[in-house]
Amino acid sequence: MARPAGRLRERRRGLQFPVIGWVGLVLVAVFVGLALAAPWLSHYRTTELAGSPLEPPSAAHWLGTNGVGQDLASQILNGARVSLFVAVLAGGGTLLIGALVGMVAGWAGGVVDAILMRIVDLVLVVPKVPLLIVIGTYAGPSLPVISLIIALTGWPPTARVVRSQVLSLRRRAHIKAAVGFGASSRQILRRHILPEVALILSAGLVGAAGRAIAFEAGLAFLGLGDPSRASWGAILRDANAFGGLFFTDAWKWWLVPPLVAVSLLLLGVTFLGVGLEQRINPRLTRHTGP
Amino acid sequence: MSSDLTIAQLRVTYPGPPPVRAVDDLSLSVAAGECLGILGESGSGKSTLGRSVLGLAGEATVEGTIRLGDLDLTALDENGWRRVRWRRISMAMQSASSLNPVLRVGLQLAEPQQVHLDRTRSEADARSTQVLEDVGLGEWALERYPRELSGGQRRLVLLALALVCDPEVLVLDEPTSGLDPATRNRVLEVLGRLRGQGGRALVVMSHDADALEMLADRVAILYRGWLAEVGPAQQVLDRPRNPYSWALLNARPTLASVKDLRGIRGDPPNPTEVATGCPFAGRCTQEIEICGQGRPPLLPPTAEDGERLVACVRGGVVPVLVGRNLSKSYAVRSGFGRKEQVTAVDGVSIEVLEGEVVGLVGASGAGKSTLSSMLVRLLDPDEGSVELEGRDLLAATGPELKAARRRVQLLFQDPFEALSARLTVGQAVREPLELQGIGDAEEQDRLVRTTLRAARLPADDDFLARYTHELSGGQLQRVSLARALVLEPKLLVADEPVSMLDPSEQAKVLQLLKQLQVERGMAMVLVSHDLASVLRVADRVLVMDGGQVVEEGTGSDLLMNPRHPATRALLAAAGRDLLFELEETATG
Repeated sequence: MARPAGRLRERRRGLQFPVIGWVGLVLVAVFVGLALAAPWLSHYRTTELAGSPLEPPSAAHWLGTNGVGQDLASQILNGARVSLFVAVLAGGGTLLIGALVGMVAGWAGGVVDAILMRIVDLVLVVPKVPLLIVIGTYAGPSLPVISLIIALTGWPPTARVVRSQVLSLRRRAHIKAAVGFGASSRQILRRHILPEVALILSAGLVGAAGRAIAFEAGLAFLGLGDPSRASWGAILRDANAFGGLFFTDAWKWWLVPPLVAVSLLLLGVTFLGVGLEQRINPRLTRHTGP
Repeated sequence: MSSDLTIAQLRVTYPGPPPVRAVDDLSLSVAAGECLGILGESGSGKSTLGRSVLGLAGEATVEGTIRLGDLDLTALDENGWRRVRWRRISMAMQSASSLNPVLRVGLQLAEPQQVHLDRTRSEADARSTQVLEDVGLGEWALERYPRELSGGQRRLVLLALALVCDPEVLVLDEPTSGLDPATRNRVLEVLGRLRGQGGRALVVMSHDADALEMLADRVAILYRGWLAEVGPAQQVLDRPRNPYSWALLNARPTLASVKDLRGIRGDPPNPTEVATGCPFAGRCTQEIEICGQGRPPLLPPTAEDGERLVACVRGGVVPVLVGRNLSKSYAVRSGFGRKEQVTAVDGVSIEVLEGEVVGLVGASGAGKSTLSSMLVRLLDPDEGSVELEGRDLLAATGPELKAARRRVQLLFQDPFEALSARLTVGQAVREPLELQGIGDAEEQDRLVRTTLRAARLPADDDFLARYTHELSGGQLQRVSLARALVLEPKLLVADEPVSMLDPSEQAKVLQLLKQLQVERGMAMVLVSHDLASVLRVADRVLVMDGGQVVEEGTGSDLLMNPRHPATRALLAAAGRDLLFELEETATG
């Protein structure tokens, strides 16, 4: 039999994780490490007036101070916590809703599928920023609320990918066989469909997390974030709003570090996503056919 | 002065230890001028029945009554019997050893006439000559010793001996067994002429169903001394209703049979055991709980069956699956975005009996796979109904559907697709048990291993931990088969089960399928485009073409007399034309 050998080769290739993915993984891991270690690494509270305004980097203030004398290193470290918190909460929420809707629509088919897919279309055209402004105004722009809104508006792409995957899976004989053994829809989804779409979901999670990070930074930059938390977007906003920033050298330690941090984290997440995509893609093409 | 032979509640027991009941509660009657065939395997009690009727049961205890007209034979003493035997009722023995080897045939034929009818030797010889001519021998035979005659001729002499006193009832024990086909036909021809002659009742006991088909007006089927079925010969032999009769007649070879022969499942019963319930229970494929409680009464199975009586609490062989008028069409997009309906299956009805193998053949695109998916409800038909064991499969939901899923399983064409690449062999075969919630982990493990062994696969830990890509195609299909069988279904629908395998594996898997089907008493629908292999396995074959069943029959019917072009095309593909051309060149 030629095919088992072919499948074996395919498996081995599938197990190889591309270099770009490793780079992304390392970057993300560094940020996660920093965020976890933030309480020990930062010597000041983010709101504390720790020094005189616009102090350049020193042993006491690694990244100097901002316009009112707050320690920027502490703010950056705490900003990582904010970004990753949003990434996990919003990314996870996106994944959960997307996977559920996608699997149910793909498996149930028919009317259920049609209704769910119209809902997907509907959510896709909802403008996120105005929605956030409106909800933020009423509910108060706390991080969980922001995450929830990102999740509630961000799930449709995941749902679509998962659905198409389930559509191709449900025609496969081993799924039909399981139906033949008397498996309920829930059992099929849990035992067969979920493990098969797990990789896709992991890529979806990374993508959603990246979008959530960028979106939260943008919101904070616009002043729509949680005002009590020092997120990267908020640091950028403060720096940008400081009159005459570029007449001093302070932009070097006030504006650049959060910019670099958000860029590096997004790059890391994107690389990780690309790595996962490459790992998954051969399978995708095999399932869906040419 | 001809009269009926009536047997009522006859029980014959040979003394033990342990006692053997050879005939059990048997009631039967033969009218004057009628020919009754008694069909049964060896050990079914035929000979005991025959000897009891002639009062020759010896040391066996005979209970019940045997009446010849108004005369109660069971009440007769030896003196009484002497007046009855030969003159009113006689028996042609199976073995030619009942002829005396040192006496000429003429003397042996004359002796009963001299004793019972007070004839002189010359009167007797005249009658003997006449009888010998009747049986196809001539006067010449009178002067022969038995050893100077062939086996067939000796058999005819035995027949003449039984006839020589012109009895009202003639009992024949295996008149054709052990004879070559030509002699057998001669004996049958003679018996055919004797049939109904002068209002004589004929009782033919045989395991040769074809012989009985030619001779008998009515046929009774005997199993373990118990009457399974009795009725008009044509009805009983062509459409047997009792599960035992069905299995027995299904196992008989015919001249044009291409089917591989398989006996009835299980072992012949231990004669010392007396069954409390139906004697066929344990080997029967449609056994239910009440089968073990009390003897099934002989009843007419349906109103239109009239004279036929069947002893089966389920009223005879029942269908395990009935599909009626099934139709399915698919919407196919043709050019310019229009949708077109393509009818894959068009009004197909199919019935599968308990323990039966139905072959479903047709070219690709004939609708075979669509039909098999509908039979196991992996696809809902547009129209029609599917009944599994008498329950509507299409209406079943929830627990009822789940229970029905245990009873019917589909074996897929491509085992590689049918087994998830993520699961090991052990996990895959265990899955049905887990989904159905059968047994605890230990019990499941045991079932998985026994089923794998039944499918001729290793059942050690190493094999259970293998992934599908590590196995060969034949092994994979066996794993797939084991997975389908682990729930012990009543019906297996096998969709092209061997088409992906090489010829040697094909043969092995097909044989395995047939063997497991017989052992487990399953019914099977075997779907294939290869008529040659289906004919070897199937009891009945349906030919599909263009979504419809265009022809139906036994394998021999289709081979000898194909009517539809699709059947001929499949036969041609299977090499029939080649076979018959060879034959024509040989004869012509």
